[in-house]
Amino acid sequence: MRREIFRMERVTCIEQGITQLEDFNLQIYEGEIMGLLLINAYGLQTFLSLLEASLPLYDGYIYYCGRQVNSWRSFGKSYNRISIIQSQSSLAEGLTVADNVFVMRRGFKQRIIRPALLRRQLEPFFRETGMELSAGMYVERLDAFERIVVEILRAVILGHKLIVLHEVGTIVSGTELEKLHEILRYYAAQGISFLYISLHYEEIFQIGDRCALFAHGRIQRVTGRAEMEKDMVQFYCGEYDQMVRGRLERLGPPPENRKAVVSFQNVSCEGLDSLNLEIQEGECLTIQSLSETVFQRLVGILEGEEPLTGGRILVDGKAVGPRESRNIAVLKEQSTRTMLFPELNNMDNLCFGLSRRVAHVWSGRKIRASIRQEYREVFGEEFFSLYPDQLSERQKCRLVYTRILLQRPRAVFCIQPFKGGDLPHRMFIWQMLKMLLDKRIAVVILAVNLADSLSLAERLLRINASGVAEEIDRSAFGSLPATAPWKYLYQEHEAGCTQGSANPRPGAGRNQPQADARPGQSRPWPSGR
Amino acid sequence: MKKISRLHYLSNRVFFMGGVVLGILLLQSVFSLFLFFRGEAELWPFFLYMGLFVGGIFVFLFWIVRPYLRSEMLAGRFLDGYVLDGKQNLQMALLTPSSKEQWEAVERVLHSPQMMELNKRQAQYLALQNQINPHFLYNTLESIRGEALIAGLEGVADMTEALAKFFRYTITKVENLVSVEEELDNCETYFRIQKYRFGDRLELHVEYEAEEFEEIMSCRIPKLTLQPILENSIIHGTEPKVGTGNLKIQFERTESRLIIRISDDGVGMDEEALARLNRRLGRDGKSLDCHREPEKGGIALVNVNNRIHLIFGEEYGMHVYSMAGAGTDVEITLPTAVDEEEIRRRGIL
Repeated sequence: MRREIFRMERVTCIEQGITQLEDFNLQIYEGEIMGLLLINAYGLQTFLSLLEASLPLYDGYIYYCGRQVNSWRSFGKSYNRISIIQSQSSLAEGLTVADNVFVMRRGFKQRIIRPALLRRQLEPFFRETGMELSAGMYVERLDAFERIVVEILRAVILGHKLIVLHEVGTIVSGTELEKLHEILRYYAAQGISFLYISLHYEEIFQIGDRCALFAHGRIQRVTGRAEMEKDMVQFYCGEYDQMVRGRLERLGPPPENRKAVVSFQNVSCEGLDSLNLEIQEGECLTIQSLSETVFQRLVGILEGEEPLTGGRILVDGKAVGPRESRNIAVLKEQSTRTMLFPELNNMDNLCFGLSRRVAHVWSGRKIRASIRQEYREVFGEEFFSLYPDQLSERQKCRLVYTRILLQRPRAVFCIQPFKGGDLPHRMFIWQMLKMLLDKRIAVVILAVNLADSLSLAERLLRINASGVAEEIDRSAFGSLPATAPWKYLYQEHEAGCTQGSANPRPGAGRNQPQADARPGQSRPWPSGR
Repeated sequence: MKKISRLHYLSNRVFFMGGVVLGILLLQSVFSLFLFFRGEAELWPFFLYMGLFVGGIFVFLFWIVRPYLRSEMLAGRFLDGYVLDGKQNLQMALLTPSSKEQWEAVERVLHSPQMMELNKRQAQYLALQNQINPHFLYNTLESIRGEALIAGLEGVADMTEALAKFFRYTITKVENLVSVEEELDNCETYFRIQKYRFGDRLELHVEYEAEEFEEIMSCRIPKLTLQPILENSIIHGTEPKVGTGNLKIQFERTESRLIIRISDDGVGMDEEALARLNRRLGRDGKSLDCHREPEKGGIALVNVNNRIHLIFGEEYGMHVYSMAGAGTDVEITLPTAVDEEEIRRRGIL
């Protein structure tokens, strides 16, 4: 008999007159890793709030460990014993790992804290998870992966039966993600349940026992492991799959003698040694950092915040300092929030990157009128006099990418462009990046986790603290580890399966998922019982 | 229209008076402090009034405001169309001794149409039973079967036998709760009949944990819960589909619930239709808004769901998952432990 840890029964939640969750049903069993695949994130914040605390419901019931903890009749707020781990840390800075795990919890009543004892108590947990961490380490020195593991340990020690992991795959590398999945499986075997929320189906296929499809504040479908691939991929990302497939089919072999537009020659800084790389005109290159520290250093170099200790960066053969050249553009993480100036109107935001390429752009009415004329069809007439705050997320995104297009750099470095976006948003970003590539602007995607990057990339560079560790060409993408996203398309492409395929199936050609983890009986009917 | 003053309502008058009393206590304490600093009085009156003020706030908050807000919330839900049971009524702040009786009277009035509806439905069953003389029907079907066997039409004979069995279960067994095993047998019979129509285009699988077979099969569920949903899956799910349709009935048992999932890999439904159907199974099903135009489609599901609500309460029921082109899952949640005596006492069985 399975034990139910969490259950939401026909939950409807209305906030300020807007229905956030409607007839929301979800159940999670003991020791189960339940995947929650997001088609869009509408209502997700309300769902997470409901997991954390009992907020007023318009309808429905919520049960935790068999007990009703919230219902439409309930009144007042209480907190559930559920941990939520997200990209933002919930650990208290300035304290050690042991303090965070043991001291910062309800019910800790010791007046004298004995750090040595706390560290000793934590060690068995580190051994269990295979982590080589010091319990006395301050949490701000932990990298993303270590921080997630510490938060899991804290939840386990607090006795929480359900741990929610929200989009953790975007902040850890592929290797770290595999380790994290091992840890989750270990604790799931101990009876802890996990809700693994992700925008990427590849991640959920790797780890989930079951998968629920979340869209518009409702659960559309729940499938077991056996049906996951067949059911979900086909209907979840069929359109995206077609887009990527189409590009692969059109993309011929890379032209010979392609000109190098940007080169990194022995670029070094603290924590990064002798990075050599060459970016060719109009190519899409993905740089995967094998550790978060290296990723941060590289981002620091590009944004001009990390001083170079050696080496140089060349654009069209000429050495430039970081941020000196408008021929290198940097698209920051969460670009719609970080790259638009709210006090400038959309026209000024659009022209911002143009000032070094075209003189008198700020005073020249003709130039601005010409830009307005050119982009009127794309944005609409009213757009230019509005301000970024008045735009939708998609309009802001288009504005940022069009600004880059107007700037016409030789290469654009995009820092985790797909991070945190739901499927329609990621498809839109994909189209925007393709628009830049079509204009022969080289696109360099910097990522910790490959996610959607491979859907565009022609080369993959894996870098660590001592420079480029591995270079993989598009023709070899099919031989990447099984966890790599979009791998199946490259395998199909290599095998020539995509040619003439009238109704391509996204699931075809991939490793078949393992049989249902739960032993069960299945029989055709009718048959004797 | 004349605007009603805020103090027209008794509750607002109570809050107003409470505020006045607390205000007086606060002023008294400030005045005592003032006198103390002028050396005209001692300090203890300040502490006395301050204590009364703080105590008054707590009493006012937890004894009056919170029960009042809770009562308002439940009354608001009642106006939204939710039916409150007696236990919830008692959780309301009762303004006067007669309030309890008033609520009970409202409850009696509210429940009577439901009971009438239930009685009507049972009367319909009985009327159907009376109209058809079962023995005459079975004898006729048996005769057809005999003729078919003589003529060497084994298929017709088998089909007739299945039809007789199906009618026997549907018409003659009038009790409301049956075992899962009986329901599943009826599904088998129904499926046998449908197989003659669809042939190899239709497959049915039943899944359960092997070690829980006995426990699952002995669970008590409302009669005719599975077959109407199976019928729905065949007619609306697999019939319009090109190729073989696979139907699956899954049973899962937790500590307190039996979860039955009837799935098909048919045409499914779009997001809007799914939301509408689930709305009918959820909030709209228990709404008191009887004047709403009845929606077409999904009648079988709504009926089964209403019966579950009536018998086991609103915590149990049905939910539908579906995606266009990917099939539909109907999930039924029922209690594993059923107190039939209690249900009978409430007059539902």
